[in-house]
Amino acid sequence: MSDSPVSVHNPNEGQPQDEGPSAAQQKQMEQAYAQMKRKMSMQEIGKKIKHKIMVLSGKGGVGKSTVSTGLALSLAQQGHKVGILDIDITGPNVPKMMGLDGKRLHVEGGRIHPAQGHLGVKVISMAFLLDDDDTPVVWRGPIKLGAIQQFIGDVEWGNLDYLVIDFPPGTSDEPLTVAQSLPDIDGMVIVTTPQDVALMDSRKSIGFAESLKVPVLGVVENMSGYTINGKSAPNSTVEIAGPGGKSISTQADDEGNFSVVVDIFKKGGGKNTAEEFSVPYLGALPFDPGFVRGGDDGVHRIVSEPEGHSAKAFSEVVAAIQEQIGASESSSLEII
Amino acid sequence: MAEIMPKLTRLERRKSDLLLTYESGDELSVEYVDLRHACPCAKCAPNRNEDQTSIDLRESVEKLANKKPKVVTVGNYALSFEWEDQGCSSGIYRFERIWALANNKDPDNGKPYVHGPW
Repeated sequence: MSDSPVSVHNPNEGQPQDEGPSAAQQKQMEQAYAQMKRKMSMQEIGKKIKHKIMVLSGKGGVGKSTVSTGLALSLAQQGHKVGILDIDITGPNVPKMMGLDGKRLHVEGGRIHPAQGHLGVKVISMAFLLDDDDTPVVWRGPIKLGAIQQFIGDVEWGNLDYLVIDFPPGTSDEPLTVAQSLPDIDGMVIVTTPQDVALMDSRKSIGFAESLKVPVLGVVENMSGYTINGKSAPNSTVEIAGPGGKSISTQADDEGNFSVVVDIFKKGGGKNTAEEFSVPYLGALPFDPGFVRGGDDGVHRIVSEPEGHSAKAFSEVVAAIQEQIGASESSSLEII
Repeated sequence: MAEIMPKLTRLERRKSDLLLTYESGDELSVEYVDLRHACPCAKCAPNRNEDQTSIDLRESVEKLANKKPKVVTVGNYALSFEWEDQGCSSGIYRFERIWALANNKDPDNGKPYVHGPW
């Protein structure tokens, strides 16, 4: 015992010397720092990308990725700088449609650089990170959420006029995460096919958009009608057996050429849904087997036939979207 | 109420209501309480399907502060309102809905809420 009348309490007495944070704490701090940097980066991205468009559908198989790539290419055709963010983590197929099958992403200075597809469209997709096409991505929600935030915050998009975001079907984690992470989203494009099941799910997507407070830019009806072109005797009447045993007749011209549109999955459902919910109808895209071939070959229909029927349909849909975006930018409503 | 909805050109947030000015010259108002009771979001809308739950919704809205909301334009077809209090701010109000409310019409047009993501 000391002779000194003053007792000094040393809080570290009997404790190991403080040598800084443990490895686990260090890792936590690094993760927190990376998360903070990512959030700041997401805000920055919001400023660098003028327009952000989400492409969704309630039901699978309606052609979301085809529409997303088509919209991106159609916008690029107009001379805009465009990117596609393929958020379909478990079934990414945008790279294949954009002719980027087997490509890898370039990482520099901790930033991911997108691959560039047709017409200079920048693409980010989970497909670039998979060792082979058959590898399944089996992730629970929180891991998906982290990957999506990385896809948004850690990617060097540069300055873009439009970013088209392609989602998996449904109203779950992915659109929710993007809507909450990416600032100033212009709105959602809801893709549907004309039959009742798809329309029912599209209505859910519209309700979902309202819940997220993201504007619905409009409804696109995909696979809307299949055009059959053929040759017959000049000025003859041609009869074709349509769906449901209905006969469709048309008249051949002076040279015997005829063209008839067969509505394989009914017609007008997209328009009816848009009217029912008072949201804009953006137009119909034809049922075009060229999309299937183009998707498989990696040469999109818009690239292979830039003046074709489908490319024109896409440019009309793009014009309708731009009208919506422009209209919201130049709203004449005075709010006091 | 005109058959065709005129364009809304001015919206003034007053102490307890919105003053709406339409291109036709119509000047109409909607009380904040009425606006909030008519919230079209998937959470509030089903409560208007039954009389009692609709009354309950109304009472819960009346208890809120109902101060001037922040107004946000949604595309070119709707508005949304962000309230400072704990009440619902999720609804996207189409201009037709606001027009119906301003004219004391049922904004749901007698239809029960059936669609929704949940």
